[in-house]
Parts: sequence; C-alpha cells; structure tokens
Amino acid sequence: MKADTGSIAGASPVRASQKEATRQRVLASARSLFAVHGYQGATIRDIARDANVSVGSVFTTFASKGVILSEVMEARIEPLYVELDRVMPHLHGPTVDRLKTLFAIHIQFEMQIPRLFLSHIAAAYDWTLSPDAKPFGRNARLKGGVTDCLAKGVADGDIRADVNLDDVVALIISAFAWTFRLAITQNADAKAMITVMDRQIGLIVEGLAPRP
Amino acid sequence: MNQITTIRSEGETPKRAPTRRALAKRQTRLKVLNAARNLFSEEGYEGATIRDIAAAAGMSTGAVFANFRDKSDLFREIMTEDLDALLGAMRAAGTQGGRIEDSLLKVLMAGYGFYKARLQLARAAFSVAWDVDGGPALRGLASSRGFQDVFSEQLTSAVERGELSQQSEVKLRSQMLMDCFLANFSQAIFEGWSLDALQARAKDQIRIVLAGARGG
Repeated sequence: MKADTGSIAGASPVRASQKEATRQRVLASARSLFAVHGYQGATIRDIARDANVSVGSVFTTFASKGVILSEVMEARIEPLYVELDRVMPHLHGPTVDRLKTLFAIHIQFEMQIPRLFLSHIAAAYDWTLSPDAKPFGRNARLKGGVTDCLAKGVADGDIRADVNLDDVVALIISAFAWTFRLAITQNADAKAMITVMDRQIGLIVEGLAPRP
Repeated sequence: MNQITTIRSEGETPKRAPTRRALAKRQTRLKVLNAARNLFSEEGYEGATIRDIAAAAGMSTGAVFANFRDKSDLFREIMTEDLDALLGAMRAAGTQGGRIEDSLLKVLMAGYGFYKARLQLARAAFSVAWDVDGGPALRGLASSRGFQDVFSEQLTSAVERGELSQQSEVKLRSQMLMDCFLANFSQAIFEGWSLDALQARAKDQIRIVLAGARGG
C-alpha cells in the first residue's frame, strides 16, 4: 500500500494530506480565536500564529477571513442540521409551535459559544468579504428549514396560501438575529432569548393566519 | 460698515462670542471629523487608524487626541450626528399622514434613502454594533434607541386613532419593525438591492407585523 507514495504521482497525496492538516489547524485556531476576540478582533495573522502556519499558507488555503469563518460555522452546525433533518419532518402541531421549537434549538445551540455566533453576524457587514463567504443571513439551510416549516403550514391550512414566504422568512430570521443583541447589551441567557423569540414568532404567525 | 458697527454695539455679551481660539478649535474638530468620516467610509471602523485620520486631516496624531479621546469617541460623534439627521428625516416622513401602513412605509423608506448615499458608513456602524468589543463605541448612544421610538410613536398614534387595537403590544411590534428595518440593510448591501426592491419587502413585512393588531 505504501509503495505507491514513492511514485511521482504519489507525491500529491502527501501534499494533499499536508494541505488538509493545515486547513484543519487553521479552522481549529480560527474557531477558538473568533470565539474569544470576535470577528474584527481575530486577525489572519493571529490565526496563522496560533495554528503555527505562515500567513501565506493561510491565504493559499482560504480566500479570506470571511471564508474561514464561514467554514468554521458550517462545520460546527452540520451535525445539528443532520439531527434537524431527521426530526423536523416528524414534528406535528401548529406552525407556530414548530417554528418556536426550531428557533429554541438554534438559540440553545448558538448560545453555547455566543461570541462565535456574534462574529458570524458581524461578518455580514465586513468590507473585504469575498463572494464565496457565507456570513449569517446567507445560510441556505436556516432559510430552508424555516421555509419548509411555513410551507407545511400552508399545506396544513394554518398559514395563508397567498403570503410571500421569502419575506416572512426574512422577517423571522431578522427577529432571530436581533434577539442576539440581548446577549450583547443585557447579557441575556438562552432562556430569556427564547422567551423573546417565542413572542415574536407568535406575533408574526398571527399575521399569517387564514382570513376568517 | 454701518452694519458692522451695529452688531458690535449690540453685542452686549462679548464674552459669549467665540474666541479666536475656540473657533480654531472648532475648525480643527471639523477637519478631523471630515477626514474620519471619509476614512471610516473607505476602510471601515477597524481599517481606519488615528494615524491615517490625522494624516488626512493634515495634522499630528497629538492634535487629534487633544480633541477626541480615542477612535471610538470619534466614531461615536459621527454616528450621533448622522443618527440625529436620520431620525429627523424618518420622523418628518411619518408626519405625512395616511394610514398606519403608509406612514410606516414612508418612515422606512426615508431611512433607506438616507443611507443610500452613505452605505459604506452604515456598514461600518453595523459591523461595530455587532462586535462585542467594538460595540461599546456605539452602545449607550442615546439616538440608537431612537429607531424604536420612531416606530412606537407611529403605532401609538394609530392606536389612538383606533386604527390598531388597544392590545397591540406596541413595544414588541416597534422592536420588530426596527429589527427588519435594520436587517434588510445587510441584504440590500450584499445583493445590491434597489430602493424599489427594499420598498416591496418592507411593505410586506409591515403588513405581517401589523396583521394581528387590527381592529378597535
């Protein structure tokens, strides 16, 4: 098996695995630095130093700081989505309750490392963000999850069929994101934030009920 | 000539007239603020350093520090100035009457129109606001609470007119209006939305937020 690595073609798997190792080290360092210093506070230089790689090799692996953070966030949330994909289709009951559950899960999850999530939101306003970065708000899976929830409501008849789902999704996701302001300004915990989010969801869904 | 004499003779409180020194100081402040505004717009909050700002204003960093405590002080001053003007524009738009949906839409559009011309600066402000360490630069800014006040004034008067029910949860609804108003910016910035696209979205969102508050 190892004989192959001696051949010319075999040189690249070694390089590829080195590259992958660099990648993983950078991602691990970035994750802990963003979680402590925030998006602006953690620089590429700090990340490179912490990962024990050169700044140059960080840039050959990732297009920008925004891309690094996107990958950190995606890797972190992936297991949650696998779980949600499994659970959500079996969730029954009124749309308002299903949405509350979906967001309570998200809030609890993100509040494990609040600063990391705040970095994710802050990145949405970064100048130098390259188009391939996915800051908060461009997360297709969250949007998709909320859209599915609402679409089921339309099918079940507790959400009006003529609502513009995209606009509703944007409204709910902005309510969710700005709920995290409470974490910054008032040191709110997950429980307090879920209470606020529940009220907002209640109010939004009230506005989507079929007309009598 | 005559006029000048009049002014001088009527200037009964010469002490209150700004001294040459105070005038010079004010001019220095203005110069720094202008340079800072340009640099924050071009480089963002983090990217703009006091050194660059001083250089752009044609003075020493010492002279900048003589007028402003630090970078966040400078940023806060610019934001306060803008927020006051912005809130003024939004309030004025809200007095143009119409039903609550219409007046709220006018308020929102006045806000978007205001920032259309200074999107980069808006972006710097949001970026700072979400940064846990940079946040204090904007926190405690009296005017940043002003957004919610503008919306809640609109809703309260609609309740008084009987357009919205007494149990309208004005506080939560105005907070949500503020949230979507601000959150739409990020999409507008990234996806290069036009004011028309923003208007279409805002209109839908206002309708949803108000839907449960109908009736008297």
